[in-house]
Amino acid sequence: MPAVLTVDPRSGVPIYLQIVEQIKRSIALGVLQGGEQLPTVKQLAVDLTVNPNTVARAYRDLEREAVIETAPGRGSFVRADSVADSPRVAAEIGRDALDVALREAKSVGLTRTAVRELFETVLERWFADDKRVE
Amino acid sequence: MNYVEWLRVRNLLRVVAIILTILVVLAVVLRVSVSRYMSPEAWVAHLALDPGTKVTRTTLPDGTKRIVFDDPDDSTHVVVDDHGYAGKHIVVTEPTSRAQKEHSDVSVGSVRVFESRNGATTTTVIDTNGAVPMIYYMALADIVALIVATILAAPLAREVDGHLEIALTKPCSRVRYALGVILADAAGIIAASVITVIAFYFCQLLFESARLDFSGINANAIAMGLILPLAWYALLCAATTLLSRSYGAVLGFAWPVAILTGALTLIHADNVVALFVHDVAWVISRFDPLSYVEFASPNATGTYNYTEANFGLRLSIEVLFFVVYGAIAIWRWQRVEA
Amino acid sequence: MSIKISNLRKSYGKIVAVDDFSLEIPGASVFGLLGPNGAGKTTTFKCMLDLARSTSGEILYDGKRLEPATFERVAYVPERSVLYDWMTVEEHVEMSRRAYAKFDPARAFELLAAFNIDRKRRARALSKGMRTAVMVAIAFARNAEILILDEPTSGLDPVNQRHVLSLMINEAAKGNSVIFSSHQIGQVERAAEHIAVMDRGRLVLQGTVDELKADRKIVEGIFPDVSFTLDGIARDLRVARTDRTERIVRVLVTGGAEEIASDLTGAGAMAVRVLDLNLEDIFLYAVSPATATTDIVAKESSS
Repeated sequence: MPAVLTVDPRSGVPIYLQIVEQIKRSIALGVLQGGEQLPTVKQLAVDLTVNPNTVARAYRDLEREAVIETAPGRGSFVRADSVADSPRVAAEIGRDALDVALREAKSVGLTRTAVRELFETVLERWFADDKRVE
Repeated sequence: MNYVEWLRVRNLLRVVAIILTILVVLAVVLRVSVSRYMSPEAWVAHLALDPGTKVTRTTLPDGTKRIVFDDPDDSTHVVVDDHGYAGKHIVVTEPTSRAQKEHSDVSVGSVRVFESRNGATTTTVIDTNGAVPMIYYMALADIVALIVATILAAPLAREVDGHLEIALTKPCSRVRYALGVILADAAGIIAASVITVIAFYFCQLLFESARLDFSGINANAIAMGLILPLAWYALLCAATTLLSRSYGAVLGFAWPVAILTGALTLIHADNVVALFVHDVAWVISRFDPLSYVEFASPNATGTYNYTEANFGLRLSIEVLFFVVYGAIAIWRWQRVEA
Repeated sequence: MSIKISNLRKSYGKIVAVDDFSLEIPGASVFGLLGPNGAGKTTTFKCMLDLARSTSGEILYDGKRLEPATFERVAYVPERSVLYDWMTVEEHVEMSRRAYAKFDPARAFELLAAFNIDRKRRARALSKGMRTAVMVAIAFARNAEILILDEPTSGLDPVNQRHVLSLMINEAAKGNSVIFSSHQIGQVERAAEHIAVMDRGRLVLQGTVDELKADRKIVEGIFPDVSFTLDGIARDLRVARTDRTERIVRVLVTGGAEEIASDLTGAGAMAVRVLDLNLEDIFLYAVSPATATTDIVAKESSS
């Protein structure tokens, strides 16, 4: 688990949010399976060297979003149905990334047309060999 | 709570014990090498005996070896009773004209010399197995104890020198901590006195038996001998908490200043300047525990008497010094800031 | 165990080291105290522990004043070495074992081994980092409810620094409080939940790390020309400071970043973006006046 999660305390993004995002990402990518147990709050806090309440808050958020469930005395587990939700989670992650990218592009004064052209160029670079059909 | 101080005391006592052991070993070596000089003949060698002296050796029923020197030409008669390890008893009878010019009784260690005049004849009795006055032991013990006291002194100033964050965050009151420190050091000083006495007693035993008498004036000597280094220690503690930045200098100058003021009180006040110096030194020395110690003063018969009328007063002053100077040190400790 | 500091003031003669400082430190948390050198952090710790007498103000532990018995539950690591040069590491452990009822010597030796300290060495033979490690190991073996650590990682190599951080986090997970000061803001960012910033004896900022990072942003706007006015924006209470260089404006806000961003657009900015701040940025803005960091460079190049 620690190998999958890394947090950057110096980034402007709160650490708890980084943890939430990365756990969601792991589930979306299938690294974390449905029903798999997560480390305890204390264990993860020590592994990542972050404040335990930060981890606790991340777990609480994940639980509220029905991504994980906590059984008292037994631990926290990935919800089986959140794995099935992977496409939605993936879409969220993709949209957040594009949000940041387009905000940057707009802030340097690019027009919609210019951005769309650039988008096609970059898209070609990354997805040239992706023949998947939705 | 005061483990650190007990460690300091233990380490120092170890050094003292090693030094005393070396002394004892030297004493053993000395004993072995001079054993052949410990014969009765050597004792009476100072008497210029003519060749015509008759020497008789007998052994008394109790095993004592008796040697009698008789010189009829000089009317001199010497009887030496050698009780071996238990000492010697010598009686010298000689004409008054020949006797030592100074008429005095002498007590040095366990050796006693008594003289009595009877007209033209003088009888001198030398006894080497008197009871050892504790004053001699306590004087030796005090030299060691005063050194130990000076080394151990300034324990609180040492804490101030970079360890307050440890000393003042213990779960006990500041007063309790300071008392513990003083107690540990006091125990160490007394222990130093005791092991010194034991070491020298052992040295004496190597040469001949020694009887210790713990009563009367000997008890007084012991009391004064034990309390003096404690009072000196307490003085240094108080002085160094008042001048904690330079406690090393205070400890170093303590001896010379004490000796100097003591010496200056002996000045004859025969002019204004001398009077002034004498008076200032006298005032300063009132605060010095060492000035109140008088182990012995001669009395009319020429022997030494150290139970003067105001011995009790002087002893009380020493105890008072220990308490008052100790209280000053504790008071300063109470107020110290890291 | 919680600590409440009320209107603490400490002066050394004419110099005021801590001025009207109030803070509440909740129990079972990690609290970071930040500040430039000479801000008064160490003095505050000393007043908290009665190592220095406060000039005025009050410090309460769970509602009660500090007394000798409280030291059973509070452990302290000072910023400089206070070990006894002539004693060995083992003897220091023994000293703590005899003084504190809940001290765990086995745990202390475990930690010393983890820091690679030879227990038989005398303190005078230890380097500065090793001395810090010894004090830290002994403090964390105290089983104390509160640990007050003054720059506990100074002098330590990066591996040992991580050890100390992990120890602090472990204590928090056990339900104890850790209050520490550090110049390594990255460490504070990881381990601390709450922070307070001191500057020149005063409290200049406090809050949880998450809140501070969520609320404090820089809103940057680039204007087409220099003829624009920011009066309305500058008067907004959420604006902590405004830096303007020709056509670029950067506004430090303590909340409402998106609103200020639209205000800037309304004032004529053609490109506006909201920048996240990390704790170091937040700290630097809190303690330095507007031109402080550029001053040093300017002085160098003009002399």
